Amino acid sequence: MHNIEKSDERVRSLSRRGLITLAAASAGVLVAGCAQTPRDGGASSAAAPSDPNAASNKKKKNPYKDDIKIAYVAHDLSTPNNQAWLEGIQRECASWSNIDIQSFNGESSAETQTQIMADVINQGFDAVILQCSDGTALAPSVKEAEEKGIPVITLNLDAYTTHSALVMAVDYDAGRMAADKIAESINKKGDVAIIQGVPGLTRTDNLEQGFRDTIGKYPDIKIVDAQSASFEKAKAITVMNSFLQSYPDIKAVFAINDAMAEGAALAAESANKKGQIVIWGADGEKDALAMIESGDMSGTIYTNSWDEGSTAAKIALLMVGSEYSYTVLSETPKVIMEPIVVTAETVSSIAENDRW
Amino acid sequence: MRNLNLSRLSKPIILVAFVVTLAILRPSSFLTISNFANVLWSVSVIGIMVCGTIFVFLLGGIDLSIGTLAGLSAVTVVEVIKNMGATNESVIIGVLAALGVGAAAGVVHGLIITKFDIPAFLVTFASQMVFLGLSMVITNNQIVSAREPVLFTAIGSMKVLGFPLPIYLMLLIAVGSWFVLSKTTFGRGIYAIGGNPVASEISGIQVKRSTVLCYVFSGVTAAIGGIVLAAMTQQGMASTGTGYETQVITAGVIGGVSLLGGVGTVSGCIYGAVLMGLINNALNLLSVPSTQSGLVQGLVIIVAVAFDALQHQDQSRRKARRILGRLGGDKANESPAA
Repeated sequence: MHNIEKSDERVRSLSRRGLITLAAASAGVLVAGCAQTPRDGGASSAAAPSDPNAASNKKKKNPYKDDIKIAYVAHDLSTPNNQAWLEGIQRECASWSNIDIQSFNGESSAETQTQIMADVINQGFDAVILQCSDGTALAPSVKEAEEKGIPVITLNLDAYTTHSALVMAVDYDAGRMAADKIAESINKKGDVAIIQGVPGLTRTDNLEQGFRDTIGKYPDIKIVDAQSASFEKAKAITVMNSFLQSYPDIKAVFAINDAMAEGAALAAESANKKGQIVIWGADGEKDALAMIESGDMSGTIYTNSWDEGSTAAKIALLMVGSEYSYTVLSETPKVIMEPIVVTAETVSSIAENDRW
Repeated sequence: MRNLNLSRLSKPIILVAFVVTLAILRPSSFLTISNFANVLWSVSVIGIMVCGTIFVFLLGGIDLSIGTLAGLSAVTVVEVIKNMGATNESVIIGVLAALGVGAAAGVVHGLIITKFDIPAFLVTFASQMVFLGLSMVITNNQIVSAREPVLFTAIGSMKVLGFPLPIYLMLLIAVGSWFVLSKTTFGRGIYAIGGNPVASEISGIQVKRSTVLCYVFSGVTAAIGGIVLAAMTQQGMASTGTGYETQVITAGVIGGVSLLGGVGTVSGCIYGAVLMGLINNALNLLSVPSTQSGLVQGLVIIVAVAFDALQHQDQSRRKARRILGRLGGDKANESPAA
């Protein structure tokens, strides 16, 4: 799964058309005419878990008239990403007073999320937008919801069971893009280090793998170290300080998320090395963009998280208003958000009201 | 030899052993002033907080709210700065407001605990959630940036003689705490209350008033910790400081604080914080992968604490032997159970 080689353009084209292909795949019709993603072609013809011709028994509602309750189950509501998704979902539904959005905080715990899912199913929500803290642990809950006709749309962190849709930012490719950009700015030569998040999360593991695989193609660049800062800015300051101690000649640092890249930049500044070390992050949150503007950070891979949340909400409404059901799917269809490489030169192209 | 008090030296011995080992393994990167500055910088927030929370520990109480209270203080200071246009005055008002929040939280804790006689564990566990909730409401769960003014960010990172400001703050607060605990009647009273609250009450110590004051100290140092964290990271959010309560309690216990009350010193707490920072620093400098660092960290803490405890045990054995020796008889040769 990791070694799919895609050009930037390919990823970009996928993201915009993803929604259309998704609708087609979910319905299990019209797929033959949709050639962008070969996998979708397989979805309709390949062995579906149940008889694809069976009539769906899912009840449909009018999402713009009937009373609709959508649950947003976050991994950890206090992160900027989770907040931006929630806002995106709310904005998408703001014009329709019949739609009620309720957010639930998973507190970074799969157990908590499982309990929330049980409540949400019992309370008869019409759709769930979920960011799985653990794709395996949440799979039974997701399956139960889908079986009861509640479509589940996952955000960034997948559930390992076939469900209505996964809306995700690029992960492996974001690592690849950052690696190429870093290589370019250090003239393809020198020592680099990685600041990791919490090990074991698909998204961040893929990001790191993409970075490592791509750096491997530059013979004169060496990854000298990789340390975890648990996604925290304050911890990243400490980790970066130790990198500066151990590797005085370090040329670049790639942090798996922006908060840690910001911490690394603060440490570099405190060591009077502002601007001398290439520092990249991933996500594209507001503060990181400001630090790229001020020259503290070198770049990031930006995803419009508001748009991502709003996309998930659109799919939820589409599923609620139709007989589309997971039973016709052989695997979860994906919508991939457009990744934008942000550097000091391009940061001004991210409009103020796209900064989450 | 008999008079050599090893137990007093065991903590310095552990620190020196640690430093020597690391100096041999990583001579170029470890033994530098800037690395020591980094280690102290990384534990300064824990160090600041433990110097206030020790008062609560000595009572036999506990304050689980300090992590989210630090978060609430961080949020308070950055919100004030943001809403007053990032001026120097806003920093002063923001810092005072945050300190006020910390002190008020301490008063409330102390009053609830003394008036209603509810266990501190429950009160501070509940208020932990209240503070987190308040921070979430105030910030609408967003990150509030405070990259300006310099007066604010300097609190977290300005260097004086090569050492960042939070280190000096930690030392200042430690000296203050040490002074109150060992040189004032109030301080010695805290040890007495922790040892035996009923006897203290009878002997004329104002237990309730002292208890409230102890929680105020804990709250204020938590607030200072939160202000420093916010200044260091140039932002404040609801999750700032969460989890610090565990680290602060760990630092205290490593440093010899008894959670039952009555036992513990400020120097011990600072030792605990510094040892934790050194272990972390060692893991980083030795490039221990993150999958293994938790394991190594836990084992090193157990070994260090066991070594320390062993010295104390030896000392109490020797003391017991001496007493028995003075009493005379054959018992002097037996090794009494410690």
